[in-house]
Amino acid sequence: MRRILMLLTLVAAAAWAIPAQGGQVLHMYSALDTAESQLYIPEFEKETGIKVQWVRLSSGEVLARLRAEAKNPQVSIWFGGPSQDHITGKKVGTSAPYTPPLDWTLPANAHDPEWHWVGYYFGAIGFGSNTEFLKKAGVSAPTSWDDLLQPAFKGQIAIAFPYTSGTSYTVLATLVQMMGEDKAFEYWKKLNQNVHHYDKSGSAPVTQAGLGEVGVAVSFSHDILTKGSDKGYPIAMTFPKEGTGFEIGGMSLVKGGPEPELAKKFVDWALTARAQSMMKQWFRIPLNPKAEVAKGAVRADQVKLINFDAVKAGEERDRLIKRWRSEIGQ
Amino acid sequence: MIELRKILRDPVLAATIGVIAVALFLFVVYPLFKVFQMSVVADGGLSLHIYSDLLDKSFERRPIYNSLILGALVGVAGTAVGYLFAFAIARADVPWKGFFRIIATFPIISPPFVLSLAAILLLGRQGFITRTVFQGWWDPHIYGLRGLILVETIAFFPTAFLIMLGILQAIDPALEESSLNLGATRWQVFRTVTLPLSIPGLASSLLVVFVESLADFGNPIILSGNFHVLSVQAYLQITGMADFAGGAGLAVLLLLPTLVAFLLQKYWVSRKSYVTVTGKPSPGRLSVDPMTRRLLFCLCLAVTGGILLLYGTVVFGSFVTLWGANYTLTLKHYVSVFKIGGGYLRDTLILAGVATPITGILGMVIAFLVVRKEFAGKGLMDLTSMLTFAVPGTVVGIGYILVFNEPPLLLTGTAAIIVLLFIFRNVPVGIRAGVAALQQIDKAIEEAATNLGAGTARTFVTITLPLITPAFFSGLAYSFVRCMTAISAVIFVVSGSWNLITVAILGLVENADLSQAAAFSLVLVAIVLLVLGLMQYGVGRVATSQMGYEPQG
Repeated sequence: MRRILMLLTLVAAAAWAIPAQGGQVLHMYSALDTAESQLYIPEFEKETGIKVQWVRLSSGEVLARLRAEAKNPQVSIWFGGPSQDHITGKKVGTSAPYTPPLDWTLPANAHDPEWHWVGYYFGAIGFGSNTEFLKKAGVSAPTSWDDLLQPAFKGQIAIAFPYTSGTSYTVLATLVQMMGEDKAFEYWKKLNQNVHHYDKSGSAPVTQAGLGEVGVAVSFSHDILTKGSDKGYPIAMTFPKEGTGFEIGGMSLVKGGPEPELAKKFVDWALTARAQSMMKQWFRIPLNPKAEVAKGAVRADQVKLINFDAVKAGEERDRLIKRWRSEIGQ
Repeated sequence: MIELRKILRDPVLAATIGVIAVALFLFVVYPLFKVFQMSVVADGGLSLHIYSDLLDKSFERRPIYNSLILGALVGVAGTAVGYLFAFAIARADVPWKGFFRIIATFPIISPPFVLSLAAILLLGRQGFITRTVFQGWWDPHIYGLRGLILVETIAFFPTAFLIMLGILQAIDPALEESSLNLGATRWQVFRTVTLPLSIPGLASSLLVVFVESLADFGNPIILSGNFHVLSVQAYLQITGMADFAGGAGLAVLLLLPTLVAFLLQKYWVSRKSYVTVTGKPSPGRLSVDPMTRRLLFCLCLAVTGGILLLYGTVVFGSFVTLWGANYTLTLKHYVSVFKIGGGYLRDTLILAGVATPITGILGMVIAFLVVRKEFAGKGLMDLTSMLTFAVPGTVVGIGYILVFNEPPLLLTGTAAIIVLLFIFRNVPVGIRAGVAALQQIDKAIEEAATNLGAGTARTFVTITLPLITPAFFSGLAYSFVRCMTAISAVIFVVSGSWNLITVAILGLVENADLSQAAAFSLVLVAIVLLVLGLMQYGVGRVATSQMGYEPQG
């Protein structure tokens, strides 16, 4: 028995020793899909020799974690997620400023005036419809926000919770800025009757539409393309003719994060033409003009965009979400 | 007073009790206290406004109601299925007993959300059965209460089965025998003898399954649709809205019914034991007629068919290129399990490998203290150590991030917090097994060692521990399984440095990457089975080597 005890102690000791490894390590929360994070992060590791330890969380969850950990930040960088969530981060004081050195100009709406966050891609909100469902139901793909309210779509629409998903909050903020707040909530109450259920992750509705579990997904166009049609699902993408919202995907340094220098290196790397070109694989629109754009990806000049004020959206987040929860009741 | 002096004379014993008491306070009681405190303190003063806020709004009230309804229904359904299997195996002597026994315990080792995954693949709107059998004339509506009842019943009936099997095997068949001889029909025997004798077991399994359902997180987060339940709602409140006070409030609301059920089970139901072991050999006459036996066999077979169909779907799903669109078979999901999941697997195995032996030993030590030693606060130690078993993981996870996120107990982001969480969540089963084993061993053996001059530590290691080896290993096995499949509490404390495979699978399911999630789940099940097999082999070896020592000892 003593021998067994000794053996167990040895096992325990060995297991504690393993994770102690040398080299530089950057800690990160990634709001990108796990599969997409795995496209970029290993490339960064290969090019710089810096090891990245990351957790994937929806951007609302990242924000909640950063707020909870403010006294003891666990990560140095928040990678991914729409800019308005990063703006909220700046407002609650979890981000730190950093101006990356660039030989090209980042549009004014693609970075914080004080550089608390930096944009690195563009994406518009769209609708992904299952074509087999459309055929069976005898309806055409929705081309306006009002189309989503049709009786034919009852229980057929998937979208995420605005409080966990940056995608879905972008939709809410878009509607509020486009229709006015009260009208937007009136609209969502009607939309709610057609929603099958709410997801945690903003891109999950696309696969559900692909599987045919629902008819229409409201999500970002790059997610609709990558996780829908590009994967082989019968998904058609359309955009609302009244205008749609968009995101500038952002990244921000975490205030008091343990490895600020490595985090800056990551920001610099993510803005290089080479790194930006890799977003082709996910149909995102790069901001670096020298980067390659995927065929079929939807650029800003190809859809009607509303004049989306991301700063306002970020600042209103807490209030709008509270109102959404009490009025929609989810 | 005499007790105290006796303990002080044995410094090892005193130190052990002290360390365990501090550890239990720090890792069990204090986090729960923090959750409670968080929910009643606002702006520096005592306030119940969180509760009035929570109970005020219908969308906050509904999850409470939903959780209770779901728990009650699953409690009844799970107990019924568990009783069916236990009765068929222990009393009716149906064919294929060994096979049914495996089926009735298998769901314990599978990760919690696998069944939900299977339910979507089979009964979702594009599910296999929905498309081929119902073909549009009926939508099973599995996102919500119905789906949850189905998957949770299957996930938790094994607990009811094990409880009922123990009870039924402890009822002396001679009692049934005599009533048969006195002219009762077999139905009368069941109704007036067997059933009343199983009532304490039924009540206890109802309560335990109710608690398991209430605490379940993995299934509702995938399958609940718009049927919100407390465990998920508390999680979303904190992770989605950074509303710690509201989340803590929901956690307390989740804790209350659980604690009531737990205390009822511990202090009321389990006292009403009707166990009738007499030690006299009983003639093996059956208490059911062939017709009933055939019926029971068919019922077991039907349930088994359902379970196999669900797990079979997961196996098939893991080989499909793209569920719903392209059913060509492929191995690519398994390739990427090892390509992208290698790190997750390694982390999970290391953490479980560290936590499991510590849990096992701690369990035996506490069992030893509780059964064999007398000291002040013993009852409290017993209750506290069992507490984590009843407390929903969500509540524990919230407590851990509240306590261990700031100095002096800064543990977030480390492996230690995950290991500690594993240890204190899983130790109760080891304790229970240890207590049961110790109560059957005569104290005189240990007293002999003590009289010959051995201290408490030496007695424990050389006498007690070898005698309770089987209990030790069953505690180990159980704790390993729970570490590998845990989700509800650890999801709050995972960090970039330590990723768990269950959290990765949950991410895949959330992103509706079903085939990939299925492949991950199956690899996980395979690893668990492999380790359990190795342990079984190990127990066999240890048992034989012990036998070898006996002549000299």
